[in-house]
Amino acid sequence: MKKHIAVLALLAVTWSAKAQQKSSADSLMNAMSANDKPVRVAIFKSTRLVLAQTTEMVKKNELNFQIIHRFGDIAGTNGGGQTAFGIDRVNDVFFGFEYGVSDNFNLDLGRSTIGQLVQLEAKWALVHQTSTDSSPFAVTLVGEVGAKPYQVATFPTFSSRMSYLAQAIIARKFSSDLSLQVAPTYVSNNTPFPLLPGNEKSFFAVQASARIKLSNHAGLILDYAHPFSNFRTKANGFEDPIGIGYEVETGGHVFTVNITNSNSISEMNMLSNNQHQFSKGQYRIGFTISRMFDFNPKVKKDNK
Amino acid sequence: MKHISIILLAALLSVKATGQTLYACKNAQVSLFSTAPIEDIAAKTSSGNSVYNAASGDLVFSVPITTFKFPKSLMEEHFNSDYLESDKYPRATFKGKIKEQPDLTKNGSYPITIVGELDVHNVKQNRTIQGNLTVNNGVITMTAEFMVKCADHHIEIPRLVFHNIAESIKMNVNATYTAVK
Repeated sequence: MKKHIAVLALLAVTWSAKAQQKSSADSLMNAMSANDKPVRVAIFKSTRLVLAQTTEMVKKNELNFQIIHRFGDIAGTNGGGQTAFGIDRVNDVFFGFEYGVSDNFNLDLGRSTIGQLVQLEAKWALVHQTSTDSSPFAVTLVGEVGAKPYQVATFPTFSSRMSYLAQAIIARKFSSDLSLQVAPTYVSNNTPFPLLPGNEKSFFAVQASARIKLSNHAGLILDYAHPFSNFRTKANGFEDPIGIGYEVETGGHVFTVNITNSNSISEMNMLSNNQHQFSKGQYRIGFTISRMFDFNPKVKKDNK
Repeated sequence: MKHISIILLAALLSVKATGQTLYACKNAQVSLFSTAPIEDIAAKTSSGNSVYNAASGDLVFSVPITTFKFPKSLMEEHFNSDYLESDKYPRATFKGKIKEQPDLTKNGSYPITIVGELDVHNVKQNRTIQGNLTVNNGVITMTAEFMVKCADHHIEIPRLVFHNIAESIKMNVNATYTAVK
């Protein structure tokens, strides 16, 4: 009897050992695979949509060069066939240089046609959205100082031609198809812009944006902005800027074609002064071209 | 009673012996290389996981896509979001068998043939891969080099960037295993 028990016990032990071996290979694999680190989610393809900047940063030692155009009115009194639907007129051109001091801190320089505005910007990524949702959204802070360097009668001193902007951008990629962003903003102009009686120097605004993926390389981008200003009303001829665009990314380039009622590109101009109305045909074609330059030291190819 | 304990002891020892046939690697190096008219693309990870069962010849591999490091961060981003879609398919895996049964107790270098299923971008392909297995005092190192066609795994390269990316990517794998106790 004892012998039988012993044999049975032996059989049981070896059998369970075999079973264990098979499952332990799988469980070992699973255990090793379980500790995937959360990674940063890229919410947008570019640092800029039609009107708004995004939470995306230029990485360390990289330089993003942007050329942004706004053409003339497509329709209305200034548009139509005579101006090739606005293509003949250039309302605003923005040159932007965005440099990655670190992955989370960028220094940007920009220059607009409107007001010859030169702006310096610091952009700081506070929180990134992570793949594990340990941080469900990204927060990026933006601070801008702008100056219109050339003297005009209504803006006699240099300091009267200065503007400031502070913005918190909050974005989330809800799925690979949809990213949403909202950006509470504070704008302050040393002289009310536009200089009209009753206009405020400083005001709050909000920008809301979305990106809808169309394919792996293209997306539809939507932009809306609203200044909370008692003066900037429909009755006074103002309209909230709206933009819709098609974005294509090809390796190091991002190309955007858009239609917007906003004349100006820089947020300080765009939020302060948008007196262009869709109903009057005052919407225009715009485009953004950006190219990323990489100044990181070349990694040696360890390939034979 | 004595007998039982002796037999049980022997059984336990045998469990330990069978446990020795499992080998694991937590830092398998996987690199990819693509040469194209405009630019060469190279990326590397050392976060691959692999388990080798010496008794059955089973070999399992799993590599997190997001751990591949590229010299250009933009490439890395596009690799993840546009080509490999790592948010949907976070890992590339291989499940197969090594045909040969090399003697792991003897130091030496053995050519091996690995037959199995390569799962990249959620598309499975049956592959036969030639590699090499080296034994050095109980430490096993496996290396392999093989080509992967982007089209085989439904990785589409748009016409606009066609000249930047080669149709076939060269993969290099280097994994060092230690026995699991």
